Amino acid sequence: MRFDREQLRMVFALFVVAAIAAILLGLTDMLTREPIAEAQKQALHRALEQVLPAHGNDPQAQVVNVAGTAIYPARVHGALAALAWEVIAPDGYSGRIRILVGVHPDGHVLAIRITDHKETPGLGDGIVGNQPWLDSFRDRSLDNVRWQVKKDGGDFDQFTGATITPRAVVRAVKAALLFYRHNRAAIVARLNGEAKALQTAGSNGSEGGDE
Amino acid sequence: MNKQEVFADGFWHNNTIFVQLLGMCPLLGVTTSAENGFWMGAATLLVLLGSNLVVSLVRGVIPKNVRIPAYITIIAAFVTVVGMAMNAWMHDMYMILGLFIPLIVVNCAILGRAEAFASKNSVSAAVVDALAVGLGFTFALLLLGGVRELLGQGELFGFAVFGESYPDVLMFILPPGAFIALGFILAGVNLINRRLKARSDAAKLAMIRAEAVRVNATAVAVEGA
Repeated sequence: MRFDREQLRMVFALFVVAAIAAILLGLTDMLTREPIAEAQKQALHRALEQVLPAHGNDPQAQVVNVAGTAIYPARVHGALAALAWEVIAPDGYSGRIRILVGVHPDGHVLAIRITDHKETPGLGDGIVGNQPWLDSFRDRSLDNVRWQVKKDGGDFDQFTGATITPRAVVRAVKAALLFYRHNRAAIVARLNGEAKALQTAGSNGSEGGDE
Repeated sequence: MNKQEVFADGFWHNNTIFVQLLGMCPLLGVTTSAENGFWMGAATLLVLLGSNLVVSLVRGVIPKNVRIPAYITIIAAFVTVVGMAMNAWMHDMYMILGLFIPLIVVNCAILGRAEAFASKNSVSAAVVDALAVGLGFTFALLLLGGVRELLGQGELFGFAVFGESYPDVLMFILPPGAFIALGFILAGVNLINRRLKARSDAAKLAMIRAEAVRVNATAVAVEGA
């Protein structure tokens, strides 16, 4: 098969355009990779500060992975004070809702925070800034509350015109607590292991203490 | 066309939103507040500047048959760059606009400027065109976002204008509100354009009359002589 000059010119032009675009994207990625990671870390940090009680460690530095979930511990004087992890409600009104849940080691909720969502502005997204509603999860555990919205016979408020979003959030937070109940032993073992490792590192003179 | 005409044309007479009604997807999706509208417009403006500049630079070099894939590649590259930069340095706004940033690639207004203007004009004219069209787009998004935020939530740039007790008006927060508000804005734009036209017509008429009087006077003078 033979190509005429015109065809070769077309191929060459597209090749050059694509190559320059690729170089541009590569350079931008190099420039922005660290700031993006830093921005995400900062966003997570802000959310963690809101769902965890006062603590002396860096939860992001001491994260452990159990059953595919990243778990952030809050420690006070080395003792586990709270844990936080993110759950995803797949059944929001429009797409997934990510919720950061802060949990006491005995399994009750300390605080929750919506970290990402695509709910309708003004309707479902009311949950993001609705502090009283988010606070209604405080001190709830699997045993002391009916994990449904009031419309479905449960204990959590829904909003006028927006039932689907609260329903999805309630279900996801309940799933988070169930996850903790099933994996508690593994989580505690991993966190204790981390704590021991930290202590060993601390006694070796390097930093890594909890304060 | 000189630069002023290029600018006036891109910003007002052929405004992407008000006159051509192009790029409606981001318009309806993100103009729930003035701030969101402004940053979406700014992101589009940056992409438009980059794509117009490069397309004008390579005009005559890209073979005609493959110009559209070449332009799309250029536009997509700039959109990705703007998206990554926003993610890095304006993380919170990126979380809000997120989905709509990649969609700038398929904003037909941008490919339209590349094809209809940048590929046929000098680099400086293409940059002026990009600024005009981009600012016109930003202005439209800002205006619509402001109107919807004001009517929907009683706020402007997050500040309560009508007091804290203003009840949220759902219709203006939801997409139908964008259509309705846009309809009224378009009516306003048409009204302004009609006034402008009437004024320039009147000016032209006055000029013609003056000319006629002058010609008459000359004719009378010639006859008198």
